[in-house]
Amino acid sequence: MTAAAFGQLNLEEPPPIWGSRSVDCFEKLEQIGEGTYGQVYMAKEIKTGEIVALKKIRMDNEREGFPITAIREIKILKKLHHENVIHLKEIVTSPGRDRDDQGKPDNNKYKGGIYMVFEYMDHDLTGLADRPGLRFTVPQIKCYMKQLLTGLHYCHVNQVLHRDIKGSNLLIDNEGNLKLADFGLARSFSHDHTGNLTNRVITLWYRPPELLLGATKYGPAIDMWSVGCIFAELLNGKPILPGKTENEQLNKIYELCGSPDENNWPGVSKMPWYNQMKSSRPLKRRVREIYRHFDRHALELLEKMLVLDPSQRISAKDALDAEYFWTDPLPCDPKSLPTYESSHEFQTKKKRQQMRHNEEAAKKQKLQHPQQQHSRLPPQQHGVGQSHAAPHWPTGPNHPINNPPPPQLPAGGPSGHHYYPKPRGGAPGPNRYPPSGNQTGGYNNQSRGGYSSGSYPQQGRGAPYGAGPRGPSGGYGVGPPNYSQGGGQYGGSGGSGRGQNPMGGGRNQQYGWQQ
Amino acid sequence: MAANFWNSSHYKQLLDPEEVDVVHALDKERGISTEDFKLIKFHMSNHIMKLAQHIKVRQRVVATAITYMRRVYVRKSMVEFEPRLVALTCLYLASKAEESIVQARNLVFYIKRLYPDEYKYELKDILGMEMKVLEALNYYLVVFHPYGSLSEFLQDAAISDVNMNQITWGIVNDTYKMDLILVHPPYRIALACIYIASVHRDKDITAWFEDLHEDMNLVKNIAMEILDFYENYRTITEERVNTALSKLSLKP
Repeated sequence: MTAAAFGQLNLEEPPPIWGSRSVDCFEKLEQIGEGTYGQVYMAKEIKTGEIVALKKIRMDNEREGFPITAIREIKILKKLHHENVIHLKEIVTSPGRDRDDQGKPDNNKYKGGIYMVFEYMDHDLTGLADRPGLRFTVPQIKCYMKQLLTGLHYCHVNQVLHRDIKGSNLLIDNEGNLKLADFGLARSFSHDHTGNLTNRVITLWYRPPELLLGATKYGPAIDMWSVGCIFAELLNGKPILPGKTENEQLNKIYELCGSPDENNWPGVSKMPWYNQMKSSRPLKRRVREIYRHFDRHALELLEKMLVLDPSQRISAKDALDAEYFWTDPLPCDPKSLPTYESSHEFQTKKKRQQMRHNEEAAKKQKLQHPQQQHSRLPPQQHGVGQSHAAPHWPTGPNHPINNPPPPQLPAGGPSGHHYYPKPRGGAPGPNRYPPSGNQTGGYNNQSRGGYSSGSYPQQGRGAPYGAGPRGPSGGYGVGPPNYSQGGGQYGGSGGSGRGQNPMGGGRNQQYGWQQ
Repeated sequence: MAANFWNSSHYKQLLDPEEVDVVHALDKERGISTEDFKLIKFHMSNHIMKLAQHIKVRQRVVATAITYMRRVYVRKSMVEFEPRLVALTCLYLASKAEESIVQARNLVFYIKRLYPDEYKYELKDILGMEMKVLEALNYYLVVFHPYGSLSEFLQDAAISDVNMNQITWGIVNDTYKMDLILVHPPYRIALACIYIASVHRDKDITAWFEDLHEDMNLVKNIAMEILDFYENYRTITEERVNTALSKLSLKP
């Protein structure tokens, strides 16, 4: 950089040195996601043509100004620099009054919108995994897992807890690089930290037992539980612990990992909610049994991640040393991975919604296409023992794979939100069932009509999905999907799908909480 | 906070003393001298400290708030960034950044009770200024403080004298009445404070200092700055501060 003029500072930030650029330097292309506190757009920097992601910081809390979640994320991202952590390029503001998508002026009188500018990533892990017909290979899963653990290890070394590890927060570019994103719930910790932390973090399906039991002192192990859930999900082909309430979540955990007691988790009986969340009868650990079709090293690593007692759970560092990553087939080079058309969970959901839409239209026309909706495919297991894989996907009582969804649920999610103590403004529950139309809360189709019509191929040409590659997998993908992502999530102010982000919808209350 | 100060934005943004004392052109027009500039910053630091005692936040929040305020005035004028409002806003922002949240309306409540005549600011003023401060800080919110290294040093030097510890902490707190945090690495400020305290308490810890392999001249220079400040401190009167502040409201 050239010398600064007198009275100015010569600092190493890209120009303009102080004060942010305007968002007008970018052209918004399309919405690609819904973050903890605002929409995410794909955009092009007009001057350079570079494609970036713009994450809008919603400024709707007029009483507490700049959202603490955004402050956390900015503070943390400004200090993390790692190839497996999303890079915050800059922050831009929109001058004057911002307009929302309906063209109504924002009612924020203080300032227009603020956007964080990130490098653009083509996919998120969930979006990618949900691609119809896509099947991850074992080296590919190893490659993603290794990057996930490397990035997380870096965060933990830098005393940052992510606190919302889930597939849609793991971004993947077309060079196969995986990066941790959405640090809106992240926070710094220190090993000697004595203060209490909130246990209302991490999307339910990925939330560890200690948080569900009310722990307010915790550490990096909480992220490792989420990693274990994702790992198993990648191998299993679908989420492994899709609880709908905190109680149900804990029960699912107990059914898989056994019920906690003083033997397997010293001190557990003193956890705040232990007594009210106790398992009705002692359950034994069944990880090995349920996932016996996983390869040996994968199962070994998974066993160490899904440990009830956080103090015995494997760390990111030790996980990277696991046999799994050092035995054939080795993790592949990210660059060797195939490239895919961009897919974010947000978009895949839109796509599927569109598909359902067309199906309904088709039904109305009494077309008798053999409809199959997409379910995620399990990975190819290496080795020969393939034949046992498909029919053996766990079909225990909590995995109603072939059960049709209960038909009459309102789109807003299963009856009320009794599992959250306070009403959450407009956030529909984690609706796991196909919506019965479009009346879900939020902004989905009514305001953004053009969204899905342009960029996606219409799905109306017969039933392209499922017919081909999944034929042989028997009962797995046929019939109504057990975890079809309902439209309910779109309306959520925070929960970007897949379970519910516990803090997203509660921004108005967050100040009362111990963070 | 972050594991490594040397990789931090704080380290990369350390300034030369000459850069810190530059009075903004707009302020100069109103007749603000370098001395006035320092006085006002000093006064506002005290303000933040006093206010923080009432709202009961950790010392770390106070330290971060003052650092933000001082960073703002490295590049912004007091004419455009009204010092009282900036002080208030920095405390508010620091309470968020340091995870020790104070509600903005409580802040307004306390400030009105403490300074009924001086402060006319409302919630919306603080929130509006918050955006401007964030921008002025270029969103760099992580600040390192001498406190962390201080406890380590005191332990390492096996100083168990309670008085000595207290004096050292007090001196560190006082360094925020100057711009030292913008200029020197925090650990070195901590060492300078330990040095002053050891001289004051007549404790010979020369051997310990020698083992540190730290350039003692740099440490002693900071110590001299602090002592100079204490010397000048006596001549600061409310009247002088008010005179300086009143210049800001004069039209050039």
